[in-house]
Amino acid sequence: MSYFSPSCELKRQLNFGCKYYLLRLVCFSICFGGSAICSAVQEEERDVELRERIKPLLEEHCLGCHSGDEPDAGLTLDHFDAPIDFLKARDIWEHAAQKVQIEEMPPPEDNELSKEDRAYLVGWITEVIEEFECGLEPNPGQVTLRRLNAAEYSNTIRDLFGLKSYAPETAFAGDDVGYGFDNIGDVLTLPPLLMEKYFLEAERITTTLIQVPPKEKRFSYSVPGGQLQSKKGGGGDRDLTLSSAGTGVMQVQILKPGPYVLTIQASGDQAGKEPVQIGIELDGKLQRQKIAVPNEEPKDFQTIVRLRAGSRRIGIRFLNDFYDAGGNGRPKQDRNLHIHFVSLEGQKKPPKRLPESQLSSYHKRILFTYPTNEQDRERATRAVLNRMASYAFRRPVEKHDLDRLVGLALGIQDEGDSFEESIQIAIQAILISPKFLFRVEPPRDPNGLGKYRDLDEYELATRLSYFFWSTMPDGELLKLAANNQLREGNNLEQQIARLIKDPRSNEFVRNFAGQWLTLRKLEEFQPDPSAFPKWNEGMGRLARNETMYFFAGVMRRNMSVLNLLDAKFTYLNEDLAKYYGIEGVEGKQFRPVSLKGTNRGGLLTQASVLAVTSNPTRTSPVKRGKWILDNLLAKPPPPAPAGVPELEEREGELTGTLRERLEQHRENPACANCHKLMDPLGFALENFDAVGLYRTKDGALDIDATGELPDGTKVKGVGQLQALLLARHKKDFAECLTEKMMTFALGRGLEYYDKCAVDKIVAALEADNYRFSTLLVGIVRSDPFQKKGERE
Amino acid sequence: MSNNRIKRRTVLRGLGTAISLPLLESMIPRSVAASAPEAPLRVAFLYVPNGMHMPDWTPQKIGANYDVPATLKPIEHLKSEINVLTNLTLDGARAHGDGGGDHARSAAAFLTGAHPKKTNGADILNGISVDQVIAQQVGDETRFASLELGLEGSSQSGSCDSGYSCAYSSNLAWRNSTSPLAKEMDPTAVFDRLFASGDKKEDAQAKGARKHRRKSVLDFALQDAQSLHRDLGAADRRKLDEYLYALRDIEKRLVMSEKLDVGNYERPAGVPKDIGDHARVMLDMMTLSLQTDSTRVASFMFANEGSNRSHPDLGAPESHHQLSHHGKSAEKQAKIAKINKYYVEHLAYFLDSLSAIQEGESSLLDNCLVLYGSGISDGDRHNHDDLPILMAGKGGGRVRPGRHIEYKRQTPLCNLYLWMMNQFGVRADSFGDSDGTVKV
Repeated sequence: MSYFSPSCELKRQLNFGCKYYLLRLVCFSICFGGSAICSAVQEEERDVELRERIKPLLEEHCLGCHSGDEPDAGLTLDHFDAPIDFLKARDIWEHAAQKVQIEEMPPPEDNELSKEDRAYLVGWITEVIEEFECGLEPNPGQVTLRRLNAAEYSNTIRDLFGLKSYAPETAFAGDDVGYGFDNIGDVLTLPPLLMEKYFLEAERITTTLIQVPPKEKRFSYSVPGGQLQSKKGGGGDRDLTLSSAGTGVMQVQILKPGPYVLTIQASGDQAGKEPVQIGIELDGKLQRQKIAVPNEEPKDFQTIVRLRAGSRRIGIRFLNDFYDAGGNGRPKQDRNLHIHFVSLEGQKKPPKRLPESQLSSYHKRILFTYPTNEQDRERATRAVLNRMASYAFRRPVEKHDLDRLVGLALGIQDEGDSFEESIQIAIQAILISPKFLFRVEPPRDPNGLGKYRDLDEYELATRLSYFFWSTMPDGELLKLAANNQLREGNNLEQQIARLIKDPRSNEFVRNFAGQWLTLRKLEEFQPDPSAFPKWNEGMGRLARNETMYFFAGVMRRNMSVLNLLDAKFTYLNEDLAKYYGIEGVEGKQFRPVSLKGTNRGGLLTQASVLAVTSNPTRTSPVKRGKWILDNLLAKPPPPAPAGVPELEEREGELTGTLRERLEQHRENPACANCHKLMDPLGFALENFDAVGLYRTKDGALDIDATGELPDGTKVKGVGQLQALLLARHKKDFAECLTEKMMTFALGRGLEYYDKCAVDKIVAALEADNYRFSTLLVGIVRSDPFQKKGERE
Repeated sequence: MSNNRIKRRTVLRGLGTAISLPLLESMIPRSVAASAPEAPLRVAFLYVPNGMHMPDWTPQKIGANYDVPATLKPIEHLKSEINVLTNLTLDGARAHGDGGGDHARSAAAFLTGAHPKKTNGADILNGISVDQVIAQQVGDETRFASLELGLEGSSQSGSCDSGYSCAYSSNLAWRNSTSPLAKEMDPTAVFDRLFASGDKKEDAQAKGARKHRRKSVLDFALQDAQSLHRDLGAADRRKLDEYLYALRDIEKRLVMSEKLDVGNYERPAGVPKDIGDHARVMLDMMTLSLQTDSTRVASFMFANEGSNRSHPDLGAPESHHQLSHHGKSAEKQAKIAKINKYYVEHLAYFLDSLSAIQEGESSLLDNCLVLYGSGISDGDRHNHDDLPILMAGKGGGRVRPGRHIEYKRQTPLCNLYLWMMNQFGVRADSFGDSDGTVKV
């Protein structure tokens, strides 16, 4: 640790040394149960330091500008009264300490801060914000309700229905990125655009996978009353009016014998004691049934008639004509029948099932049982939906949810539609339910005061599968969860090993490593073809694949994570090997290739990383340096001052080689402070051009791959850079990787209280030769992964 | 496919991509062309990233008799339809103590006028955007309250700009201070959302049944969410509120309304590889949606803010963002100007399309307010005053175009937005950081 934060050396001088830190840990284990006393002692010490030394320093050198109503840079530093306040505002103080350390603050022109005071101030702030009282029960934090992102959704649909592959009909709009990853609960929004796609996909998926029997063609014939044959009576074109006893007849050709529904739309002029009555004639024979038509407005009357095959005559007879001419004070009375419309339809039959041989395996997987008769409908519906909803919700569906689903499906069956159709609709409801689209983890138990609850095992299984597979838990995970055995013995370790071995963990490599190493940006990298003719369109994908295979190899072979920095092997196929000028690799398949005797080894020498940190026309030592600080050491340089272009090298009137121009640029003090951190790291990689090819000359000029660190150490070439990283920054790298992976695993940015968990994992890594499995197990066993805490 | 259908993409290809081809009136579905006794007011916001080479953007003279500067040459023939607006300022995009991140802030503030909270993810906070204010006012009258389109999705890895979540640099429209509205970049998807595809012929009864079922599925989900709502904490509830809003919003389209049939515009086939083709077909989608009154509010991002897109075809193989930090290099500035002009060519294509569509006595463009510009002025200085902004269209007679208007220095861009929303009947006396209103 030389220039990123105060060195241990410095800390020891200031009595805050690493030893002190260890002592405190020891102290904790001794004071188990009575830690309050221990903490109180240390906190008191800190309070004293704050009061007696830090506050006066801040007042003298900082608060002049950074206080009051209109502080400089909108930053007030005057309301931090206790060490815990510094810790909670960690971002501010990390930033501030950095500015003080690189002597950007206080402004150099009125800089009266002595070297010793500066070191003390930086050391104290760093210590306070770094050391967090882990205590007995640090807050494990809480992730905001996480929507499945695009990759997770697709994978989950694929596995839920047992498909070989699945992609939505049109791609979803990309998910927004926070903390470098696209699976962050806070950042994953659900705009209507996306909801609409979820809905349409649910329809598409269910109607594609579930086969619905063809609707049987029902016999259907209808005729306006006016077109019935009738000897008596008369009507207009539309209605038939029978004013005396008579029959309206229609003739139909019946193919299938059986019951038919006869619907008569009729009304009557009512007179006399009884209502209008009609009877049905079949082939001239009056049936027994009488139908009363007491209404004056048209109304439908239905009756069932059994018909034989052949030409049939169906008549509607007016049964009870009545007429009284009136006179002698009696009004005239006339009873008539109006027939408006007649229709005959075959009866609705429960739809037939498709023969087994026509059903796809996907269909059978969903509809594993059918109702055997009318009374059995509910059982079968419930069984099918219970299984589907439980898989989709990644836990046993709750009874009232299942009841509602079954109700929805039975309602559709009641309308005469098939069992299959009703299941289609119910599954659509499942697929747009928030319990499917979001990973629901109710907050901590409201009754368990002060106790952060363990995730239940279904929640844990879900976290595991989305961490390593970006998809839903499989049968084995769910079974362990159902038996509450996931945490038993070393089951977690065994499951992690199984998950990592499974090809589905390629998704972890793609989604975690691809984003951690910013390789997704390769898609938009278009180097200038005239300057870099060897890079063609396929190169971006090949280069990314190399890194993916490499990361997966180190992980699956359970090697030390430090291999990522300097392994003397990589994974290549023929095309990429040729690109690098490495011989003896044939075929499209990627395979492990030794790099002994080459000038390559580790991530920093892979074309993917080298290209993604370059400009389209040339390398960018600044971007490369920043990339190392951001992604390997978790020491992002402070952002450029507002209005000053970030990252990019101002050229303008500067002249000379890129190096000379950068050096001129660094003469500007506003830029120098950050660039002296970034540029030297990037310079050491100058032997690799913007598309990752090795070079010794840039045009006519020799490459000078030397960078000088702020402490004077010179680093020449990638070999010395790697040596430096391994000698001084092993732990930084382990910490960086742990933090990035935890962010991905938890779906949230890390907070100050996560430091305990990170420290524990890093310590375990150090003690175990940095083995990959230790990292994975460490994250899964950590409190933030296992428990449900709260947002602070 | 009927034979007399005009295959528009084919026509385009035949003419060569540099020639802009306005939508022909015969491509309009008859029902829409026949209606529109009084054409509604519509608005579109178009955003370009990384600022502008201002000397080639700002006209020398004020008023109507200005000489059209180099960047604006592609729209010279539309000079009488356009006002160039100088000195508008986006204060929210400034640092205000938050340090770097001008690109993220510029996109986030562009339509909101807010100062976005600096965060990588937790507690994203911005403001409601002007298009969404207008959409709330007039959105009920159309099938889509608003439409968000762009040429890039939002998925990127790493941080997008100095500690700002990518949500800031890739979204213009914000439904409220926490919910950005993602944009659609696939023209096929837009087309399918807007218009019925010809192959699904359904009779009225089947259509009715489908709507009925969709309604029951949506109702089911609604109940699910409501019961879940009770069990969750505040941050989770915010997410569920987004869900509930989205459910209600789509019900309008999936259950309550019919898709239009525009049989004579061919369904686009995926995302074109060439960025120019992509831009044109997406702009066509925007034109169609405004023309058919499917929406009255649209926004469009040519690229996410801070875009690294390179333009080798224009002789600018470097990344756009890299070039925008020109350090006063004349060569780089010339390249920037080329990129700026390239985007204005697409603006010309869009405006030509709008002006070729007749709406009674006037054109569609006459009934639009089209705002075009960037939230950064000079890409090297990252300044947010003197922004490159222009507005095209007569706004149904509310605007007197054809001029270069110079406002007082530091005039909030939100003053213009306030005026715009007032034209839509929004009764507000302030928006964002407005301190009054402006004349256009």
